Amino acid sequence: MVALAVVAVAVCAHIGLVFLHVAPSNTLTKQHGDVVDEWVFPEFEQNWKLFAPNPLQQNVSVQVRAEVSTAGGEIRTTGWYDLSAEDGRAIDGNPLPSHTQQNELRRAWDFFVASHDSDDRPVGLRGTLSETYLRRIALLRLDRDGAAGPGGVVERVQYRSRTTNVEPPPWSGEKVSDRPIVRELPWWSVSAENRGASAGQAEREGGAA
Amino acid sequence: MNAAVLCVSRGIARVTGAALGPYQTAVIRIGFSATWLLFLLRELPHRGELYGPDSPWSHDLAEQLIADNGSFTALMWSDGRAWFEIVYALAVLSSVLLLLGWRTRTMSVLFMVGVLSLQNRSVFMGDGGDNVIHLMSIYLVLTRCGQVWSLDARRARRAAAARARGERVADRVGPVLWCASGFLLLTVTLAGGLDGDWFVPALLWAVWLALGVWWAVGRSAEGSQPRILLDVVTNVVHNGALVVIMAEACLIYATAGWYKIQGSRWQDGTAVYYPLHLDYFSPWPALSDALAANGTMVMLITYGTVAVQVAFPFTLFNRRVKNVLLAAMMIEHAVIAVTLGLPFFSLAMIAADAVFLPTSFLRRLGGWAARARGRLSGRGPAGNPADGRATVPGPRTRAGTAGGTAGTAAAGTADGKDPEHTRVGFRA
Repeated sequence: MVALAVVAVAVCAHIGLVFLHVAPSNTLTKQHGDVVDEWVFPEFEQNWKLFAPNPLQQNVSVQVRAEVSTAGGEIRTTGWYDLSAEDGRAIDGNPLPSHTQQNELRRAWDFFVASHDSDDRPVGLRGTLSETYLRRIALLRLDRDGAAGPGGVVERVQYRSRTTNVEPPPWSGEKVSDRPIVRELPWWSVSAENRGASAGQAEREGGAA
Repeated sequence: MNAAVLCVSRGIARVTGAALGPYQTAVIRIGFSATWLLFLLRELPHRGELYGPDSPWSHDLAEQLIADNGSFTALMWSDGRAWFEIVYALAVLSSVLLLLGWRTRTMSVLFMVGVLSLQNRSVFMGDGGDNVIHLMSIYLVLTRCGQVWSLDARRARRAAAARARGERVADRVGPVLWCASGFLLLTVTLAGGLDGDWFVPALLWAVWLALGVWWAVGRSAEGSQPRILLDVVTNVVHNGALVVIMAEACLIYATAGWYKIQGSRWQDGTAVYYPLHLDYFSPWPALSDALAANGTMVMLITYGTVAVQVAFPFTLFNRRVKNVLLAAMMIEHAVIAVTLGLPFFSLAMIAADAVFLPTSFLRRLGGWAARARGRLSGRGPAGNPADGRATVPGPRTRAGTAGGTAGTAAAGTADGKDPEHTRVGFRA
């Protein structure tokens, strides 16, 4: 009987707290939000706003370029590498897209946008983490693309995003601008610790392929 | 008044007397472990980039984030490549063994450790599918999900048969597993590996202790007082977890549905058109274009999706309507798997849906599977009639081993290996 009561209470409490976690902000969560967070985080965190309230209606193309010091001692700026387009090509015709192709860059960029203000200044710990993360992704991907060339070293990287509206369906008669919105981030220098592991990673992956 | 009391006491008898939904819990056990297993195998070439020591989400970044949120991951215990490979291999192995239902309770714990370790190591690699598996791996630990369609059920059946013949059956693997996991748990705890959030460590220790008590009590006679009490507690916990799993599935659909209603694109009937034109979710552009070509079709699918998602939790009160919606949702997820390039998300959602499948259908499914396997392994027809008999939909058995015996007679007869492990000790 005691066991039954304990389990019944635990079940109701858990379902109630998870419900409050996924529900919109309301009277109860305003008063007791900390209790909900205390229970739900870290392991019961969830987000089921799948394509809701509205599905994303823009293609965000994340691109990166680098400043490379060449073997000859000069500084060279590479062209833009469209990393999202690379992902898109990897996903095209692929029945089992990898998380590295579908989520890695896409979510890293979302993370960056969510943890930065409109002037690209980092907000809190997550802001700085996301910058380091993007730096490391840039190095990994530039290395795979052979951007630095033989003997070259990537010294700085720069990101930009081009956001293009998905053309509305032809039957809707709606018009949206087809001009992309470009957001260009400042140049970031790349420290040795950003570089270290990801270069090794690329070598291994290359060897395995 | 009397009727109400009777009703309540009958209800109490039901939730204490048996671990309900043996087939439903077995099918989600198989569903989630298979999904995670297939995902791990698919990502084998990318495992280092996703979760390894030199992932772009570096060990150092993960450490900073985890210091902040306290989530559980064994991958923080070391940043070595060898440790990472061991954890990944264990995650694969525990998925296989949970799928087969070998030492189900222990494997479900290991499965959870594998899922949490990898996912919490690199949170920004995951999507909704990972989120479902994450939650369900925790809930599964609290269920008796190996009552049917498992090696454990077969072992229990053989042990019972052996005891009926008057033989003594001893389980050596169980105690060894228990001692080994206890030693590991103690080492990790003392080394400070469980210093984050309290929940997962508490769960690990609680299950370990419970398994120990089960073993100790299991040595006493079948009908002894402590054994009955333990059985009741285990059933109650199982039934509670089953309610949570079903509620979780309802919350997923309710959230997805109710938030959609508020969106202008879901209102104007064009929502489905847009994901089909996102570069990240259109592996087959020609197929996407074909699907999105007809405005009326897009509108019907858009409205249908919202209606089904919002309605689903309420249809649970009507068996027939529930089953129709369930079929619709499973088909929609299968379509999403292909058109939006989200196979593992869809598989996880289908596995979650499966908890609502009716017992009669699941038993028929089990029958087909057993017959197909019997045919594949080229056994004579001798084994097959038994399979058919065992899986004819019948009245609800009092779950537990009784239900298990009926359902998996098929698996058992078709297989016929494994003369050892014949004691029920660690079935809790």
